[in-house]
Amino acid sequence: MMEYTWNDLHVGLRHEFEASFTAQSASIFAALSGDMNPLHVDEAYAVSAGFPAPVLFGMLTSSLYSRLVGIYLPGKYGLLQGIDLDFSSPSYAGDQLRVAGEITHMTEAYQRFEIKATIRRSDGKLISKATIRVGFYVG
Amino acid sequence: MDSILTELESIFRDILDRPDLVLTPESNANNVEDWDSLAHINLVSAIEKHYKIKFALGELQELKNVGDMIALIEVKLAAK
Repeated sequence: MMEYTWNDLHVGLRHEFEASFTAQSASIFAALSGDMNPLHVDEAYAVSAGFPAPVLFGMLTSSLYSRLVGIYLPGKYGLLQGIDLDFSSPSYAGDQLRVAGEITHMTEAYQRFEIKATIRRSDGKLISKATIRVGFYVG
Repeated sequence: MDSILTELESIFRDILDRPDLVLTPESNANNVEDWDSLAHINLVSAIEKHYKIKFALGELQELKNVGDMIALIEVKLAAK
């Protein structure tokens, strides 16, 4: 886990990491969230709807933005305060996802910064993009 | 001042999700619904980005209402 202090941070600071989800991840998310929409959990239904497999929940893949903030940018002293999120393409269990985020604005007065972030498949296809607002505290 | 007020009104409407909000120089956190501490940080950040200026915490603590904010923005824009 990164432990950036406020003075370590600057516009342009960037982190990336990779992750993937399994069909079991989607089942667990469905149970936790209560979203049992068959497009996400029923393979036959998803295929009949024109998808190659059940579509991973957008909010499941977007949980990686939480990891981006809590582990990497800034890590230990960050607090996710808000996020604007757009989904661009579906992703599927087993897809290798690359999460990248970069600081684009810092509000010095309140020690708060913004990250522009994306999640892409290994072929470069954009899955989602986000503007993330992060508070900062020293624990 | 009027054009900045109009631009601030647009920013406030977006951040506070209040499309009908009417902002005046006398508006402040006590008389504008949903203008709480976190919204305030969001407003300051959005204003900084819109005008490409930076505020110091001390400057912000001096502000009593939107009219004061407009005056501070005018000073910063003039100094650019």
